[in-house]
Amino acid sequence: MESVFEHVSSYVGYVYPNETEVPWTELIVIYPYITGLVAGAFVVSSLHHVFGIDRFKTISRFALLTALCFMFFAPVPLLFHLGQPTRAFEPIITPHWTSAMAAFGYVASFYVCLLLLEVWFAFREDIVRYSKSSKGFKQKIYQLLTLGSDDVSPKALEIDHKIARILAMVGIPGAMGLHGYVGFVFGSLKTREWWSSDLMPPIFLLSAVVSGVGLLIVLYIITSKHRKVTPSHEAMVGLKQVLWASLVIVLVFEGLELLEMVYKAREGIETVMALIRGPIWAGMTIQWGLSFFSLVVLSAMMIKNPTGKKFVGWLFACGLAMMIAVLAMRWNVVIGGQELSKTMKGLLTYHPLIVGRESLMTVLMLFIAPFVTLYFATQFLPPWDDSKSRAEGKHTSHH
Amino acid sequence: MIEQEKNEVTENCGISRRGFLGLLGAGAATAAVVASTESDASMLGHKSDKKMGFQQSESQYEEALNNPPKIPNYDWNKHRWSYGVDVDRCIGCLRCMEACKAENSVQEDANHHRTWVERYVYLEGQDEAIVDSSADPKNIENVGSELHFRFDNRYEQEKVEKAFFVPKLCNQCDEPSCVQVCPTGATFKAMDGVVLIDTKYCFGCQYCVQACPYGVRSLNEQRGTAEKCNWCYHRITKGLNPACVEVCPTGSRVFGDLNDDNSPISQFIRNNKVTVLKSEMGNKPNLYYVGADKEVS
Amino acid sequence: MPKHIVRLLTVIAVIAVVALTARWFFRDSSFYRYGHYRGDAPAEIASKLPKHQGSASCQTCHKAIYGEWAAGIHRKATKDNVIQGVVVKAGPGCEVCHTAAGNHPSKEPMPLSVEDQITTITHLKHHTHASNIPGRKLMLTPDEMRGLCMNCHEKMPGRPSKQPQVVIETHAGEELCTTCHNPHSPKIDYNKVPRLVAMKKAGTANPAAGGSVAKNCATCHGASGVSASGAIPNLAGQKQAYLANALRAYKSKTRDNGIMSAMAAGLSESDIDNVAAFYSRNSCKVTGGDKSKIAAGKAKFESAGCAACHASGGLRKPGMAGISASQAWPNLAGQNAEYLSSALKAYQQGAAKATQEGGRYNPVMTGVAKHLSETDIENLAAFLASTNCK
Repeated sequence: MESVFEHVSSYVGYVYPNETEVPWTELIVIYPYITGLVAGAFVVSSLHHVFGIDRFKTISRFALLTALCFMFFAPVPLLFHLGQPTRAFEPIITPHWTSAMAAFGYVASFYVCLLLLEVWFAFREDIVRYSKSSKGFKQKIYQLLTLGSDDVSPKALEIDHKIARILAMVGIPGAMGLHGYVGFVFGSLKTREWWSSDLMPPIFLLSAVVSGVGLLIVLYIITSKHRKVTPSHEAMVGLKQVLWASLVIVLVFEGLELLEMVYKAREGIETVMALIRGPIWAGMTIQWGLSFFSLVVLSAMMIKNPTGKKFVGWLFACGLAMMIAVLAMRWNVVIGGQELSKTMKGLLTYHPLIVGRESLMTVLMLFIAPFVTLYFATQFLPPWDDSKSRAEGKHTSHH
Repeated sequence: MIEQEKNEVTENCGISRRGFLGLLGAGAATAAVVASTESDASMLGHKSDKKMGFQQSESQYEEALNNPPKIPNYDWNKHRWSYGVDVDRCIGCLRCMEACKAENSVQEDANHHRTWVERYVYLEGQDEAIVDSSADPKNIENVGSELHFRFDNRYEQEKVEKAFFVPKLCNQCDEPSCVQVCPTGATFKAMDGVVLIDTKYCFGCQYCVQACPYGVRSLNEQRGTAEKCNWCYHRITKGLNPACVEVCPTGSRVFGDLNDDNSPISQFIRNNKVTVLKSEMGNKPNLYYVGADKEVS
Repeated sequence: MPKHIVRLLTVIAVIAVVALTARWFFRDSSFYRYGHYRGDAPAEIASKLPKHQGSASCQTCHKAIYGEWAAGIHRKATKDNVIQGVVVKAGPGCEVCHTAAGNHPSKEPMPLSVEDQITTITHLKHHTHASNIPGRKLMLTPDEMRGLCMNCHEKMPGRPSKQPQVVIETHAGEELCTTCHNPHSPKIDYNKVPRLVAMKKAGTANPAAGGSVAKNCATCHGASGVSASGAIPNLAGQKQAYLANALRAYKSKTRDNGIMSAMAAGLSESDIDNVAAFYSRNSCKVTGGDKSKIAAGKAKFESAGCAACHASGGLRKPGMAGISASQAWPNLAGQNAEYLSSALKAYQQGAAKATQEGGRYNPVMTGVAKHLSETDIENLAAFLASTNCK
């Protein structure tokens, strides 16, 4: 009898027997979360590259590196989740276009390529310089990355800049598409009442921006502290504005979605309400509580325009709060949707494993990996203008 | 040779279509929408006289007609399988479940089923049914094993107003949402109406598990691929009944060919007022019920 | 155009060509043949071998039992095989209770189907499915059998009223279903169960002719059927059909005993019926047993359920102990104690040793015997050996 309830989610009411094994687990929670961080970070870097908003210049290249490092790991949770990971390339070889998921391979690889190119153009001048100044194995890599051309003439840089800008212009719809698409993967499923909403893509998209901006705020403040420099006030104010604006829209959309569901009150609405009160109660509290906390703090800061340590502290809190709130939101959507049975007569309660292939441990490892990668990336390609000028003793503007 | 040429033609069509969409790859959602409108226009022609398969192009339809898969003594163009369940006759003995697990090597635990039976019980004075299935933890505990299935007799002492058993299995929909969402083409609708899973090709993303409105899909953990009833395709192509129909002691499961007017299922549909489950989903199921109560979904 | 842009475009072009080639190379050649799937897949799926072979496939070897089933009420679910205006073949077939035949009687495992050959590197924890493994349990133990009957016949809300249902506690108490019902033809009508019809046929046998056959048996079983040794059963006054059944079992070696099998091999069908008729008409004799054990044996005889079959009144009516209710079951009253205890011990060994020399197997008897201790057996034997057999 020991094995009877093994790996089974407990439930109340009635659920289809196959539902007791939740198909999409915490790995599918972390997947849209990571892609969301990518999309958000990319949007910030594009604000500088495309729209020429100079206040983001200081963090633009860092945002780009962040996006790239997180994008590397975006498909990994999916690989861990697949029943047959060795067949992962099949949807690329024979994509079935009526499936929202078929495009993932294309979208993801397109996006990785785009980010690689963006990074290359943004850092090419530096790479050429390092290929001459560094030594040994590292030099070999820098030399490889120059593609054998050390042309950093103003004319060449002008062309680079133009291409980088075009890429960023392609990248914005790309980032929007990437994440709106993830929302579509969920929102297009008619079988899940909790997912089946037309507002799902915009909600995913905007919450992605929120979490990505939150991540940048947190990382920027930590790295500044680490490098013992004062974070640029200009950039921080810009991040604050973007965070506030996207947070307002996302809250409105999420509120509307809930309102519509409750107002339409289709069959099984009692079960939906029970879901909110029951299995995802904690998640909903974290999501909405932290969102409102950030909204209040950000609004106050929008009005009062604080400066100095106080500003940095509160903004850091808001950034972190939104990262957590969006993670909770991903859980509420992905797991919550599956905890609500297709019978609309029952509720499951999902208990994640702590250790194992599909477990919280894997999630933690997958979430730490991009940060570690980012650390090495910033060592390899320092994105800070000040560090570069300090290290090289000269000021270079790549614009 | 002719076959090869045709393959090339269809492949080339595929490439050009994908090439075009590949450009749009940036907006994946857009791509999916474009593909589906394209399908609506040219591919989903199965409502026409030609009876083309689900998501099948004209050349592929011709190929299916002229060069059907090499299954001995079987032509998939000559059959249109369908299935009926007579709720009033089901005694909830669950022989179908055990037969199915043996026949199809389904994982032997309470979380993976190609078919199962639900029990609906209205206690006296209650408007809503209490539902449990053969895989309910209490039923499993009662048997003490996940290898055998049996309903416990929990309502023995209760005042029961109305109670009945409802067998469930794959509906082999005409508009299968599982096929729609499969990213690889590992699941598909055969010309004879059965939705099949290619276990050599499925990569176990479980999107189909999410998409099925009837909850009939699961992940076979041993194979790492999706699992679903296929009306025992290996049996019906040999002229046998599906295993569950074979073992049903009361005849509450009826199976047959709609192309044959005298087949059990043709008679079942003709002589009874049949319903389908969750018609609002738009999946157009091919599993017909007689005597299904309002609560059955 | 600057050199680095040219180089970059070259790198991109090379990667693109490699990717497209790989995609073309890895695509299955049958893909897109009939639609967006591998064209080879339907035939692969259809190639799987069926595991349920249908009741008709059992007929070839298990003729007699198949005959019982085909004539009985388990053959069909309704009187006229018509359900909701649909003519269907229904009723529990062989595999409903005995589970899928697979490639029985072969001892080899069934070849794995395409889908069963698929394994994955990721999901290591899973339950294996036993149906491909040889040595499937085609026969069931009595305990399982009782549960099996209850799968369909337990009185339960939800079951249609036409379905025969019982509350097992009041219907049979601790009794096994098979005590009274032949699972292959469960309606209790001794006139219609084919095995019993065959036994009745024995009534036309010629006891006088049997007498001359019995001369060969006299050395061990005595001239009238009262045996010379305690290890050898008395045959006088035994149920005729039981004797005939036993001889046929020896002849076919489903019950194996060197001497008896050799003896039975030489008997024709009519010889068997005749000699059985001869012994059954002779007068039995009580051999007697250990008097100190009789009381305990009597109590066990009732509590273990022996009386259900081996007493003329059955479990619930008074009757003579040791005198069986049915022609199919042997009388035990007056039988040799030594023989009785060795028979019970043989039954205890169960199906595994059924076909060995001296082995005995009967699902009911084995089920009962397994619950008896050595003392129980000796007590029972002593009690029965001392019981009046007339």
